[in-house]
Amino acid sequence: MKQVYICNDTVTGICSALYDAWKEERHGEAGIELKGKIQQQLFCEYKTVIETEQKSESLQRMIKRNLGYNAYWDVYHAILSDDARKGGAVFRMMQEARRLDDSTKIMDHLGNPDVAKVFELSRRVSNEAHVYKEFIRFRELESGALFSEISPKSQVLTCIADHFSDRFPLENWMIYDKTHGAFLVHRAKERWRLVWGEDLEEEAASRVSEGEKKYERLWKGFFESISIRERENPKLQQTHLPKRYRREMTEFL
Amino acid sequence: MSDRVMADMPLYDKLSILSDAAKYDVACTSSGVDRKGDGTGMGNCSRSGICHSFSADGRCISLLKILFTNECIYDCKYCVNRSSNDVVRASFTPEEVCDLTMEFYRRNYIEGLFLSSGILKSPDYTMELIYATLYRLRYVCSFQGYIHVKAIPGADERLIRLTGFLADRMSVNLELPTAEGLRLLAPHKSRKNILKPMRLVQEKTRENRQEIAVYKNAPRFVPAGQSTQMIIGATPETDYQILNVAEALYKKFDLKRVFYSAFVPVNSDKALPAIREEGPPLLREHRLYQADWLLRYYHFEAKELLDEENPNFNVFLDPKCCWALKHLEFFPVEVNTADYRTLLRVPGIGYKSASRIVKARRLGRLEFNDLKKMGVVLKRALYFLTCGGKMMYPVRIEEDYITRNLLNTKERLPEGTEGMTYRQLTLFDDMNMAAVHSAGTDFQ
Ligand code: SF4
Repeated sequence: MKQVYICNDTVTGICSALYDAWKEERHGEAGIELKGKIQQQLFCEYKTVIETEQKSESLQRMIKRNLGYNAYWDVYHAILSDDARKGGAVFRMMQEARRLDDSTKIMDHLGNPDVAKVFELSRRVSNEAHVYKEFIRFRELESGALFSEISPKSQVLTCIADHFSDRFPLENWMIYDKTHGAFLVHRAKERWRLVWGEDLEEEAASRVSEGEKKYERLWKGFFESISIRERENPKLQQTHLPKRYRREMTEFL
Repeated sequence: MSDRVMADMPLYDKLSILSDAAKYDVACTSSGVDRKGDGTGMGNCSRSGICHSFSADGRCISLLKILFTNECIYDCKYCVNRSSNDVVRASFTPEEVCDLTMEFYRRNYIEGLFLSSGILKSPDYTMELIYATLYRLRYVCSFQGYIHVKAIPGADERLIRLTGFLADRMSVNLELPTAEGLRLLAPHKSRKNILKPMRLVQEKTRENRQEIAVYKNAPRFVPAGQSTQMIIGATPETDYQILNVAEALYKKFDLKRVFYSAFVPVNSDKALPAIREEGPPLLREHRLYQADWLLRYYHFEAKELLDEENPNFNVFLDPKCCWALKHLEFFPVEVNTADYRTLLRVPGIGYKSASRIVKARRLGRLEFNDLKKMGVVLKRALYFLTCGGKMMYPVRIEEDYITRNLLNTKERLPEGTEGMTYRQLTLFDDMNMAAVHSAGTDFQ
């Protein structure tokens, strides 16, 4: 009977599930389902995964070692996507890799539907992460710290963390992912941390500094005057910058 | 002129005036250099560039694009800031530019600074102000983000060199594609004068590459290279002339990018073309960018794409399709064996899909189905490809037939260039219609 592993929709959860599945069923068939998004099937045995950092890390190490860093990068991104079938695709892709002479070439094997799936998910997530590197807006709070709120589909925080840490090493800043309820927190000169399960203090987050209003106004003025009237083209603007991002962007508020 | 400069103008007004005056410069990319922060300041750079917003005209906003001043001693006919225009003049101070750059950057509004300028007093005086601004931004504010700066033709070589060590990209605008055009519209500028700083930046860049090879920590001179731009449609040059100029700039001056800017009339002057009812020549600009792309990434040469007899791009088909239709003897090519450069010439195959194909076929034969996943646009490519010796459908390799079919698969044009009606298309009567002669009627 097909074994289905149930886990939380986090990197630790999915990697623990993959770890168990790989240990027990690597020669057979296994499913990986996310808590709250389970599609019940006949003739399956369901099992809730015990999730640990060790399992997760050990699985990630194994992927890096056997499939190479590039494939690992794709797997990691795919796992952050909002697609409920991501775990299964990664599992079967790992099985497919075993069949190749050189497992590190697995991501070139786009003829395989699971590899293609992982590739597609990875692209989707890294594209979204890239979009947030572009469109995230910080506001300066009274304390001088920078704060940003976003509503991404995938769990992009860890994909953009290094980018902003490298960019603003001397600043205190925080990005709040409203969709998944997670915070990316960076203190000046320290390494970033991901924080789950805290509530946002709305009131504190809305008290902006004196200078903030000034620079918001300057930016909005710039945003208006930099456009060429004779070339005005709202549809083109919309293609590049879909409406759903604008709710969180200073120049559109 | 200077009496029009208002003392104590609020920063908001200055920014409005000096960004408004800079907006016709098209280069807004922040690409070409990868640089991590060193932990002591603010900023980094990413090779592929980052856009931060899109303005109402659909163009990317990546850099704080401003003029240092819109005062100018010159009188270029196409420019709002020309000395004979009666417009409000403003100038930033270096401190103001630095403050705006830093505060915008912190909020992730921008990727860096694009600093251009009118000519205040003299080229040297202007270049000095630009240098002072960049110096402050790099050394007082510790800014490590992207800086694109103009080299002012006619300024002291030493000033240009010093500035180059603070910037990521430098550009000198060619302004108009030919020396004749320049003489007509920019009486104070000369081709020679413009090419001189371009050559200087090129030579210094080469020299710098050797310095870096010898000692790794040598300061970097314009690491993202130099670019330029030409105004399209203000003077009567053909696409063939323009593309040849671009090619020469890439080959002889090592330029990273050539930008094309569809002429937008801001002054009425008898030396300028009358205002076009249908707006700036955007489709033409788009075709030039497509062709430019073919020069830089697809190993095409200008003379393969156009010639004296057909000196302009086709309105209906992109330059690569046009080339393919004129070279049907080259096709069909076999996906499983054709080399990378051959694949690049197939309409519907981009350079990324071409390299994916080359990698994937090492692991097994490719079928048409697989190509889709690799990003190949099959509805275009199918006329030019075989998989395992077979074409996707039985098609005739015949110019009229394929032309008609390609015209029926709608090309994805940027919004705004595609809503063209036939009435507007007739205005392109100088364009090459021969290749679509038989099928062009579909549009009427
Ligand atoms: S030099 Fe010519 S193009 Fe430049 S600002 Fe002056 S008038 Fe305008």
